[in-house]
Amino acid sequence: MQWLDAIIQGVLLGGMYAQYALGMALMFGVMRIVNIAHGDVMILLSLIAVSLAGVLPVGNIGLIVVIVPIAVGIGWALQTFILNRVVGADPLPSLIATFGLSIALQNLMLEVWSADTRSLPNSGIASESFQIGPIYVGLLPVIVLICAFVLTGGLDAVMRYTRFGRGLRAAAADTEAAAMTGVDPKRIYATATAIAVGILGLAAVFAALRATVSPSDGSAQLIYAFEAVIIGGMGSIWGAFLGSMVLGVAQAIGLRVDPGLGILFGHLVFLLVLATRPEGIMARKK
Amino acid sequence: METIKHMRVARATTSSRIAMTLGIVVLVALVAMPWWATSGNIRWAIELCCYIAIAQMWNLLAGYAGLVSVGQQAFIGVAGYLLFVLAQNFGVNPFVAVFLSLIAPAVLAVPTYLLLRRLDGPYFAIGTWVVAEAVRLATSNIDYVNAGAGMTLRVMTQYSQHEREVAFVLLCAVLLLATIGGSYWLLRSRHGLALTAMRDNPVAAASQGVNVGRLRFCIFVAAAVGTGLAGAIYYMAQLRITPGAGFDPFWASMSIFIVMVGGIGSIEGAILGALIYFFADRLFGEFGSAYLIVLGLLTLVIALYARGGVWGLLQKLGDHPWFPVRRKLIVEE
Amino acid sequence: MSTPILSTHALTGGYGDFQALFGIDLELHEGEVISLIGANGAGKSTFLKSVFGLLPVAPEMVRYDGAAVGGTPAHRMVRRGLAMVPEGRRLFVGMTVEENMRVAIDNARLPEGEGQWTRERLFELFPILGEKRRQPIEDLSGGQQQMVAISRALLCQPRVLLCDEISLGLAPKVIREIYAILPEITAAGTSIVLVEQDVTLAREASNRLYCMLEGRITLTGASSDISRDDIAAAYFGATDAVA
Repeated sequence: MQWLDAIIQGVLLGGMYAQYALGMALMFGVMRIVNIAHGDVMILLSLIAVSLAGVLPVGNIGLIVVIVPIAVGIGWALQTFILNRVVGADPLPSLIATFGLSIALQNLMLEVWSADTRSLPNSGIASESFQIGPIYVGLLPVIVLICAFVLTGGLDAVMRYTRFGRGLRAAAADTEAAAMTGVDPKRIYATATAIAVGILGLAAVFAALRATVSPSDGSAQLIYAFEAVIIGGMGSIWGAFLGSMVLGVAQAIGLRVDPGLGILFGHLVFLLVLATRPEGIMARKK
Repeated sequence: METIKHMRVARATTSSRIAMTLGIVVLVALVAMPWWATSGNIRWAIELCCYIAIAQMWNLLAGYAGLVSVGQQAFIGVAGYLLFVLAQNFGVNPFVAVFLSLIAPAVLAVPTYLLLRRLDGPYFAIGTWVVAEAVRLATSNIDYVNAGAGMTLRVMTQYSQHEREVAFVLLCAVLLLATIGGSYWLLRSRHGLALTAMRDNPVAAASQGVNVGRLRFCIFVAAAVGTGLAGAIYYMAQLRITPGAGFDPFWASMSIFIVMVGGIGSIEGAILGALIYFFADRLFGEFGSAYLIVLGLLTLVIALYARGGVWGLLQKLGDHPWFPVRRKLIVEE
Repeated sequence: MSTPILSTHALTGGYGDFQALFGIDLELHEGEVISLIGANGAGKSTFLKSVFGLLPVAPEMVRYDGAAVGGTPAHRMVRRGLAMVPEGRRLFVGMTVEENMRVAIDNARLPEGEGQWTRERLFELFPILGEKRRQPIEDLSGGQQQMVAISRALLCQPRVLLCDEISLGLAPKVIREIYAILPEITAAGTSIVLVEQDVTLAREASNRLYCMLEGRITLTGASSDISRDDIAAAYFGATDAVA
């Protein structure tokens, strides 16, 4: 029974990771942009949310309504002013540029918010839980998981069936040929990053509700998001969701084996996938 | 058409002769430090030498072999830990153990490369990072090495401070010779041309008969060993190692700073970058996060506007290599 | 003669520091097919890319429909009515045949309903594409992929179509099939620039012909008037060349 509990907790944890990973699936998986500042941007949004909650009594839903547009703006600016200058076949420039940005952001957050951990005031849903048989399940993690599921389905549909999705996939496959077919690669990339960071805005509010955040937490979120995308398979939106579940379950099981082994188990599963199926579990066979 | 009478291939330049002379002077001064410098200055010199070596190894990986690693701290940590285990738990002379401890990075580098070799660019980078994190977490869970609390090198107390300092400056000289000298030797050897070709275009280099895979493997292992040597010396001087410090991703960050600011793809760049970083750290380190914000933004600006870093900018003023790796054909009348 | 729909004026350009084009003057009139021939490395593809806004050129170097458009980004050139079948097809890997076509429809000069070209019409011209419309592009043969590339360009509803080496690497039967639809394209009012290495094919399919050598135009005239010897001389740059 404790293993079943571990799996359920792992899936719920995976729901949180999926929210970090979806934006990454779009940027890294589809556009092949390495954004080292991904986790830091999320922490920044969480901290903005925490600070705003102290000033604006808008409730959690209201906070999401305020944060997501801010996130969209940050994403658009990030792509337009920085990433569009460094995209290309060579991943090194985007890695270096966003690495510098990551260091700058982390320390900027330290200056503004200090190293203290913060979280959103504990409202009703954060502490509520319900019981399925002998297992207790928190209400908030279930909401997070459902949100992640809906977002994944929505993003996947956008990529498949909309003009934007086709244009983005075309630009990612061959930027020059896409431009010859009338796609404005820079604009479509800016939109894509705006969406990716917008999703991160939602994740940021949930992260601050679920647990605490501090300026140095970004790199852990970054590594989980990368792992989820690669486990799932580059370019696959549902793959990122599934990869997040695999990662969450691996960590939860590791945690049951020994409290010190949770994250390590996640890394080991990731390395195992790299060794046996480097194209990811959802990738189309070539 | 006139027939050419004499031709020779030249590599040394005036600038390189000056640089070589200066290099020898610096090396001699370094080795003589216990007799003229304060203990504080020697500690600084050890630190600087370790920075230069680690950055030089990262430059070899990212700047030439096209292997962008953000997990070099794995090799720093394992070499440091093996040194502590050998010296502290097995009673091996620590100055011998420094070299024995290089087995650890070499042994770790082989499976790491075999696991990650098929991954291109960004995958590879993330793969190395995960390997380093996994090794860090595993170390934190091994009671034999004192888990998360780390180890202390108590056996060093059997040597006087002067003895230790002499040994450290000698080790640092070996470290510099091995990493800078080794890189220079490699780039001047027949592999050097292949490496330069590989940096510019790996596919074309492969089609020209360069065994890209084997060369990359050798460089990955060599860089791991060089990085490990720096790590072992660094933590031996610190007398203490913990998983959090030995496997700190900061080591990767520092390498990226140094090499990008100094100028990627040149030996001179890594040295310049290390000097800039070291002195900036001494001068502005007290400003803490404000200083790091500037450093981060500087890296960003360099990635956007000046990919060649400081050395690239200097090269625009005039071609004065310290470590010439190109061959120049000189026709004599 | 009327003003040309597309013309270049002393066009120079290349990649970075490497200059590949040295003053190209070329004219294309409405409804006309011109072919641009030349050996490998003569600068033909560079020329097309320069016209299309994929390589930097000065505004006055390219005139389209009376306006100076040199250096306009490629996606805006598509809106104005240019389209290209690029060398090597350059289809969007990981997408189906129809998705490749829809990227063009999404960004075309005119909506699919108002333009000359619709998916239905192209599926009639190339029935095999209709059968494989839901298959990923990687599953198609080279000839079929070329048909998709042409369809994709046509669905941009172009007034000027640039074709870069569309016969390259294809079987003769497939080449005939593809060239057979050129009259259909011009009948729809579209002018064509054909870049070809196959001189015979280029002469047969075009009204006029330009020959390029080392970044310069070395010969131009009506395709039917130019002799093979003239072409050989212009193509190889030597008067005693053997065709």
